[in-house]
Amino acid sequence: MLTIKDLDVSIAGEDKPVIKGFSLEVKPGEVHAVMGPNGSGKSTLSYVLAGRDGYEVTGGTVTFMGQDLLEMEPEERAAAGIFLAMQYPVEIPGVANSYFLRQAVNALKKARGEPAMSAADFMKKLKAKAEEIGIRPEFLKRDVNAGFSGGEKKRNEILQLAMLEPRLCILDETDSGLDIDALRTVSDGVNALRTPDRAMIVITHYQRLLDYIVPDHVHVMADGKIRKSGGKELALELEEQGYEGLLGRAA
Amino acid sequence: MTAIARRPVSRHTAPVPAFAELFEHEQQHLPGSEAAALDAWRRTRFARFETTGLPTQRVEHWKYTNIAKVANVAMGLASRPEVKLDDVQRYFAGGPLARRLIFVNGHLATELSHVGGLPEGVVIKGLDVMLRDDPDRVLAALAEDRALDASGPHSFADLNAAFLQSGAWIEVADDIVLERPIQLLFLTVGEASAVMTHPHIIVKLGARAKAHLIESHVGVKDGHCLTNLVADYEVGAGARLDHDRLQLGAAGTTFIGLNRIRIGEKGELKQTVATLGGTLVRNETDMHLQGSFIEAQLNGVYMPIESEHVDNVIRVHHEQPDGHSDQFYKGLALDKAKAAFAGKIFVYKDAQRTNAFQTNNNLLLSDDAEIDSKPELEIYADDVKCSHGATCGELDPVALFYLRSRGLDRDEAESLLTYAFAAEVLERFTDPAVMKLAQERLIARTPGGANLTDML
Repeated sequence: MLTIKDLDVSIAGEDKPVIKGFSLEVKPGEVHAVMGPNGSGKSTLSYVLAGRDGYEVTGGTVTFMGQDLLEMEPEERAAAGIFLAMQYPVEIPGVANSYFLRQAVNALKKARGEPAMSAADFMKKLKAKAEEIGIRPEFLKRDVNAGFSGGEKKRNEILQLAMLEPRLCILDETDSGLDIDALRTVSDGVNALRTPDRAMIVITHYQRLLDYIVPDHVHVMADGKIRKSGGKELALELEEQGYEGLLGRAA
Repeated sequence: MTAIARRPVSRHTAPVPAFAELFEHEQQHLPGSEAAALDAWRRTRFARFETTGLPTQRVEHWKYTNIAKVANVAMGLASRPEVKLDDVQRYFAGGPLARRLIFVNGHLATELSHVGGLPEGVVIKGLDVMLRDDPDRVLAALAEDRALDASGPHSFADLNAAFLQSGAWIEVADDIVLERPIQLLFLTVGEASAVMTHPHIIVKLGARAKAHLIESHVGVKDGHCLTNLVADYEVGAGARLDHDRLQLGAAGTTFIGLNRIRIGEKGELKQTVATLGGTLVRNETDMHLQGSFIEAQLNGVYMPIESEHVDNVIRVHHEQPDGHSDQFYKGLALDKAKAAFAGKIFVYKDAQRTNAFQTNNNLLLSDDAEIDSKPELEIYADDVKCSHGATCGELDPVALFYLRSRGLDRDEAESLLTYAFAAEVLERFTDPAVMKLAQERLIARTPGGANLTDML
């Protein structure tokens, strides 16, 4: 589904590489956890995959469902099925949450040549999904993320995820700022979306999230590349030894 | 050193003779002209206007607007064209029970208005009626306002007084809570020649009174028309005024509004103003917090397009302790439009524990557009919390990416963010119908806004 080969990335306008020779293969149905200390390049990876400006790919390739991902605009990537749940979701006062979601759902349908969803069908689905994720109905009427707490913003990202039904979900530090109850509901929301044809990349600093969203593969990233890969037990090992213990001083 | 001889700097420009000719011709026909005191007052104010002249851009408060260009021209007094109820109804706001005065080119349209069933202690009248029936009362009210005019004569206030003809007189006695909103709907209908109108709004809320006032200034036909409005809002001790003002001017119209607000102890004001049309719009507000523990919130948004020009000047005077004022103004300029915001907060020596805040954020959407923002503080008390912040920029690239990553293309994302920037202020309107009218106009002004129409 997703093949990243020898990817090199710098911050635009700076010479210093942030991602250096990163490779990863993600197959349908798999959940990959990417862990790493601050500054290891985890968030940069998620932005590069979603198509945010400000990064320069200086080497390597990214292929998603047979297409060259790096040539695509962010909205084309969304239409192809990529979704990034952001670490810091953006507040958009002035636009109601439900309206924004309907625009997004129908924009994706349009790009895929599918008919738009009726307002009634959309609202029915939205209310059902919101209930599953533990979002109270009034949050649908409120402006997008405006005045939401950290946890409410993260839940809202998962609601978008549930509504947009992507093929590849990238969760960037979805656990940050969540208390234990919120972590559980958000994880339940994510787990409900695990299907044989959908893949996930879960980026996190801590092992905690992986107790709830159990990965098939764990990769430890440091200094812009994967330093160690393994099964879910690698996360536990990391929890015990720390990044330095696992990877040595260089981490 | 050699002394350089300078010509005196001219801060004002002399009015064209047409003003004097018009005043001599019309003065005896103005309502209440048979009352000697009112007549004398009008003449005094006109004489002062003649002496002062019109401000040039060298006058601090007029720095961003060349007003003489549009206002110092020969104009007649506006007539009262016919309007159909159908053309008016779409601007109705305040719900089916609202009391409503409707003005056409400054003239009260009695047959369209509805102010029935008023409780005792509430007066809602055309100012022309008050000028005829009780000129001394009006004069007394205006004299109080004149005392506020510490910064020297105001040319347009003088001109308004000289041609004072109509407007609204609203009084709510102590302890009366008016549940039903009051709407003042001013329609401007362009005429074949250049015309002007000088309405005056007087609102007096007694102690602990409550009212919701909606003011709509709508251009229904393009044409050269100057509206020179003076509005005096008095909010008594413990009283509350919710004030929505929607300005939808048409092409060719100039709107000059001077708003004077006085609030008494523990009084509350929530005002929201949207300027979404008009060739030249000037919103000048002078607000005095005259008692302690006052809460005042001023919200505003302006969005000139094409070659429109909007100029906002706000002065907030914290005269007494423990007051709280909050200004939240946002501006957008497109095409070749110009916008200005100059806001100043004065904290007087006695006004300890004042909280006064001002935010002015602007979005510049074209290389040919211009926005000037000038926030100022002048503080004479030592125990205060005051802040002002002004920004001027383009759409937030992070927000644009966020929307695009959810599937909206660049144009859709830009339209939605442009709309959202202004809509945040519109959400502060108290009346839902005003909010919807403003949102519709905002969508019509937003590039690519056609995609957004299903939002409402």
